[in-house]
Amino acid sequence: MERSGPIRVMVVDDHPMWRDAVARDLAEAGYDVVATAADGAQALRLTGAVRPDVVVLDLQLPDMSGVDVTRGLRVTCPAARVLVLSASGEQQDVLDAVKAGAVGYLLKSAARPEFLDAVRRTADGDAVFTPGLAALVLGEFRRLASAPAADGGDTPSLTERETEILRMVATGMSYKQIASRLVLSHRTVQNHVQNSLGKLHLHNRVELVRYAIEHGLAGPSEPAGAP
Amino acid sequence: MTVTATPQDGRRGSSEPLWRALAVFRFASVGYAALRLAVIDRAEYSRPEWAWAVIALMAAWTVGTTIAYARPERRTRVLLSIDLAVTAGLLLSTAALQFPQAPRHGVTPVTATWLAGPVLAWGIRYGRRAGAIAALIMCGCDVVLIRPAAVGVGLNGLVLLLLAGVIVGHVARLDAEVEEERQHVIEVEAASRERERLARDIHDSVLQVLALVQRRGAEAGGAAAELGRLAGQQEAALRALVGSGTGSTAAGGAPGAPGNVDLRTVMLSAQTDRVTVSVPAQAVLLPKAAADELASAMRAALDNVRRHCADGTRAWVLVEDEPGLVTVTIRDDGPGIADGRLAEAVAAGRLGVSHSIRGRLRDLGGSASISSVPGEGTEVELRLPRRADAPVARVTGTGLGCGRGTQRPDPGHGGR
Repeated sequence: MERSGPIRVMVVDDHPMWRDAVARDLAEAGYDVVATAADGAQALRLTGAVRPDVVVLDLQLPDMSGVDVTRGLRVTCPAARVLVLSASGEQQDVLDAVKAGAVGYLLKSAARPEFLDAVRRTADGDAVFTPGLAALVLGEFRRLASAPAADGGDTPSLTERETEILRMVATGMSYKQIASRLVLSHRTVQNHVQNSLGKLHLHNRVELVRYAIEHGLAGPSEPAGAP
Repeated sequence: MTVTATPQDGRRGSSEPLWRALAVFRFASVGYAALRLAVIDRAEYSRPEWAWAVIALMAAWTVGTTIAYARPERRTRVLLSIDLAVTAGLLLSTAALQFPQAPRHGVTPVTATWLAGPVLAWGIRYGRRAGAIAALIMCGCDVVLIRPAAVGVGLNGLVLLLLAGVIVGHVARLDAEVEEERQHVIEVEAASRERERLARDIHDSVLQVLALVQRRGAEAGGAAAELGRLAGQQEAALRALVGSGTGSTAAGGAPGAPGNVDLRTVMLSAQTDRVTVSVPAQAVLLPKAAADELASAMRAALDNVRRHCADGTRAWVLVEDEPGLVTVTIRDDGPGIADGRLAEAVAAGRLGVSHSIRGRLRDLGGSASISSVPGEGTEVELRLPRRADAPVARVTGTGLGCGRGTQRPDPGHGGR
């Protein structure tokens, strides 16, 4: 993706110390921190005006769940990519946020270079697949596979190759290591990882529509439960 | 006349409706007794004017007891005994008011159904047995009154009185038990809510600061790096503690799976700044013994990494849950083991850790494999097939249907 000027980042975290530290790190590394927000409502209000490339989002916000913020961001600023930065131990929340459209997940304890790299990759449109996220996605596909087939047969599944690669990511292997182990190109590995996330997003969109229709929340034309 | 339930008297609080019902019953009974005297049994009374005096006394006593019983602290043994004695006395006064042959004609005593009042009061206040004893005393007076020859006629009434005492006592006791249980549930709920709040608070404040210290320390280097590492360890430990607080209740509360624990909680406790533990979003329920053995095998593998690899070596643990199989993979980025050396070490009996890991898994009915590529670390894979009874436990963890992804996370599996 072509971009003029520095990557525009918004930081959403209710913890002032964290917010400032993260913002400072980003600014020092040459990113443009266009806004910071302490809660979900503020974040959603600001995104429309500041149009960030990347939203660094803490899942634990005082007013809204991380999932709702992610969903809201898809509406207020579809171009912004959401990178979830979580304190950990929030597997279900992280998975839900990823299914709602977040494209990356990083632990808050991640080192600064790792974090800065993740923001850059998110801006470039790459999924930031930490081992934790790979395990969540693997688990979610297994849950879908073993759930009763009430889904009408369109349950997404991973190919053997995708499963193999996700398992390697989940045990800490880098794309480079995986590429050399499987004799694939780096790009192919990346595509496989990206595809697995894409299937989940797609499936979640279908689920959302079905859920909304079943519960009379919206007509088919208005799927993604706007906040 | 209002009867106020006092909230501070939790145990008795629930019997207030019964006391109110008793007051209504007594007033209605006085009315019924007056009606019988005025219309039905009029001819059977030798001294109707005195009978009216007794009715007046009954009415007065009814008002008095209703006021007295309105306050829980006044429902004492003494008052209830006096109530019983007064009622029995008024019942016995019938002998002086009616013609001697009246009982044989099926005429009720002047008190009619009013005599049940203190019996019900005893039942409500002190339970089944007290109700029965009060009923027996009242029955005794009645039998004395109507004389043996006529017992057959009044027998139904006596049995009904006894039944009323017992049943009302039983209901009152049940009520108290339900109330007690309700109180208990409320307390447990409050306690768990408080624990969740604490966990949330710690999560929102302490953990964040520790993570920040860890991050900043690592960047500063030197002594600060050591501080950062310590903060990281404490963050991991505290997080595991907070997580297990809610996690264990979730596992304990899983229906149909007593004794099962969430393998994720057990495994996540191994997370440090060097070890990354990755788990699925859903609880991985296993019998406690199996989960503990898997954890021991994992720790043995991690110990091995610490012992044989350089200081900065990182390790990853992956927990996977498939319908028939639970897999735990431990991988490190150490130097690895050369092809022949692993087999050699096993043959020489030197690879103790491999033995202990394989042995543990074999005992559980699973298997362990160790593979290594020189320069690319070592991978230990623990595979534990689920037994036939296990899928039930799994369904409770995952079978929430297709709409799940769009709902709030189930608190049982949120693992905060």
